Amino acid sequence: MYRLTDVSKLYHKGRRTVPAVRELNLVIDDGQWLAVQGRTGHGKSTLLNLLGGLDRPTSGTIELDGQDLGRLSEDRVTRLRARSIGFIFQTFNLVPTLSAAENVEAALIPLRIGAAERRRRVDAALDAVGLADRARHLPGELSGGQQQRAAIARALVKEPTVLLADEPTGNLDEDTRDEIINLLEKLWRERGLTLILVTHDTAIAQRAERVGVMSKGLLTVRPAGGPAAGGPGTAPPGAP
Amino acid sequence: MFFITYLRRELRRRMRQSILVALGLALGIGLVVTVTAASAGVRKAQSDVLRSLYGVGTDITVTGKAPKPRLPTSGPGKGGQTFEVGPGGAQMCTNGKCHNAAGQTIDHLDSGSYSPFSQSKIAAVAKLKHVKAVAGGLALSDTSITIPKHFGQPGGSLPTPNSFNVQGVDTGQPSLGPLSAGTVTAGRSLKGADAASDVAVVDSGYAKSNKLKVGSTVKIIGHRFTVIGIVAQPQSGSPPQVYIPLARAQALGKAGGKSLKNDVNTIYVSASSAADIPALQAEIKRLLPGDVVTSASSLASQVTGSLSGTARLANDLGRWLSIVVLIAAFAVASRLTLAAVARRVREFGTLKALGWRSRQIIAQVMGESLVLGVVGGAAGVGLGFAGAAIINAVAPSLSASIANSTGQHVVAAGPGGPQNFSPTLTHTVAVPMSASVTAAALVAAVVLAVLGGLLAGSAGSWRIARLRPADALARVA
Repeated sequence: MYRLTDVSKLYHKGRRTVPAVRELNLVIDDGQWLAVQGRTGHGKSTLLNLLGGLDRPTSGTIELDGQDLGRLSEDRVTRLRARSIGFIFQTFNLVPTLSAAENVEAALIPLRIGAAERRRRVDAALDAVGLADRARHLPGELSGGQQQRAAIARALVKEPTVLLADEPTGNLDEDTRDEIINLLEKLWRERGLTLILVTHDTAIAQRAERVGVMSKGLLTVRPAGGPAAGGPGTAPPGAP
Repeated sequence: MFFITYLRRELRRRMRQSILVALGLALGIGLVVTVTAASAGVRKAQSDVLRSLYGVGTDITVTGKAPKPRLPTSGPGKGGQTFEVGPGGAQMCTNGKCHNAAGQTIDHLDSGSYSPFSQSKIAAVAKLKHVKAVAGGLALSDTSITIPKHFGQPGGSLPTPNSFNVQGVDTGQPSLGPLSAGTVTAGRSLKGADAASDVAVVDSGYAKSNKLKVGSTVKIIGHRFTVIGIVAQPQSGSPPQVYIPLARAQALGKAGGKSLKNDVNTIYVSASSAADIPALQAEIKRLLPGDVVTSASSLASQVTGSLSGTARLANDLGRWLSIVVLIAAFAVASRLTLAAVARRVREFGTLKALGWRSRQIIAQVMGESLVLGVVGGAAGVGLGFAGAAIINAVAPSLSASIANSTGQHVVAAGPGGPQNFSPTLTHTVAVPMSASVTAAALVAAVVLAVLGGLLAGSAGSWRIARLRPADALARVA
């Protein structure tokens, strides 16, 4: 479970201070799917980085299962990320010199798992995303949808509890987009993942349990299909 | 396995860059190996020169100081001769008595190169610590000049002295001194029983040019010596040309008109071990402060000629050129690694997002650089061997020269009044230039290759260590 309390993230550009996230209070329960919408530059990706421990808040606390990500050492945050958090990126971010299977395997390297077990898990992950027959293909030999499937397999192969997806369909055509979202929804349901998905697409956002809208660093959260809940920019701690 | 696959694929992806880095390192390392091989060749040549001059097994020599040319006003020493040219023509003066020298042959057997000293010093040196063996020697120069009849008149020129070197050999110590370096090609060498005999061993080159063979006689200031052996020195043209028993050399030789009986002008010393040489040299210097104590390393600085020039070329220009090329190669390798890391920021950011630690990514980049370094090093060793082979194929023989005074004192009339000078003889030794790649050079190549790889990798690693994953992902998103 995520618990964010008075979280702010400020960037300094010269003498100017830019607030990317402002006084955010939010609780995300285990197994919940939160979609985050908002215009470019309004703090969506910053929020995702904070949730993934890739960045630290300027103030406030971000707790994941009781551990304050802002206070953990870099080493422990890295270990937490390796074990519990999966990332999916808009541009897939596959290593171009490695095959689909090797890209998936890369996520298991920090976990010090034996080669045979790694192979077994990689095969299972690729099978789960329907890419078993493309395991030896390099990213350049795969379509956009196939690359994103490989990226999803890479995010899930370590069996994380949290999946952070930053516009995973942003670079895909409509048919492929539906295919990927269906896959993500299926995996979310099957595996009980906590899914936080940033998207511009309202149709996708409506499939989530909750939708948050980021605007100038403030988050407004409402149940999917319903009106915005809570005060301006925040969802109170403990709110569903 | 994953590490190796990743490394191999990455290097293959940027093949041209990898080749460029490896080639740069190969060039630098190849140059270092070649220069080191050339330096080793030069050192070996120097050692050959020294060996031919002082013989195998001699670590230190003690010689008397070179005699100073006498000033014209000081006159000859007792028993000494001067040859003077004036308005009355050429004159030979002995003990102040002069007579017409035209058409006469002057023959001297002088300790021209070094001042003689008492052979009692041999025993003193033998008592020192670290001394394994000692032998005395008398290096003499037989110089003869036949004065032309018209010398001293307009158009008459100074004759060139006809000289050859005679070495008085301690027949009781055959393993020390110049004769020990040679190989007897005919007859036999000198032995203890020859100590008082008029027998000689001659150098093969001298024997050939003078048509000498075993049984022939050679004249040394009028005394006939029977040739009992021909000896070939390792290098052609090396002195001395005639070896006779030390006692005979002492009996015939003179220095400034004074007999050399019981005198030597060289002591050959063999040290207990190579490590003892510096200490022993210092001890001998303390014992014999008035004499010149020389070890192989100090003699090397006196060698001139093309060998000396090549040594300077290899040691100075070669060394600096290698350093410059190596620095350039390291800089290019570091720059290209940095550029590669900059291009892979998203990749590394993604790996950090996946939970890779910085040190795992750094190990990957260091591994790639190290492989390039090792490949460059291997190619560099190959280039080094090729460079050494080219040097051996095209390099001419090198000559090394050490100038020695003949001991002659000549006073000649000139436009500015009487001029005096001492003709010198130069010992010239021809040695082949043989560059050889040593084990030390190969070790240096491996060390440099690893160093180059690590240096290039460190440049990239420094950047990776500073890379924040959020920034890396945001920069390209």
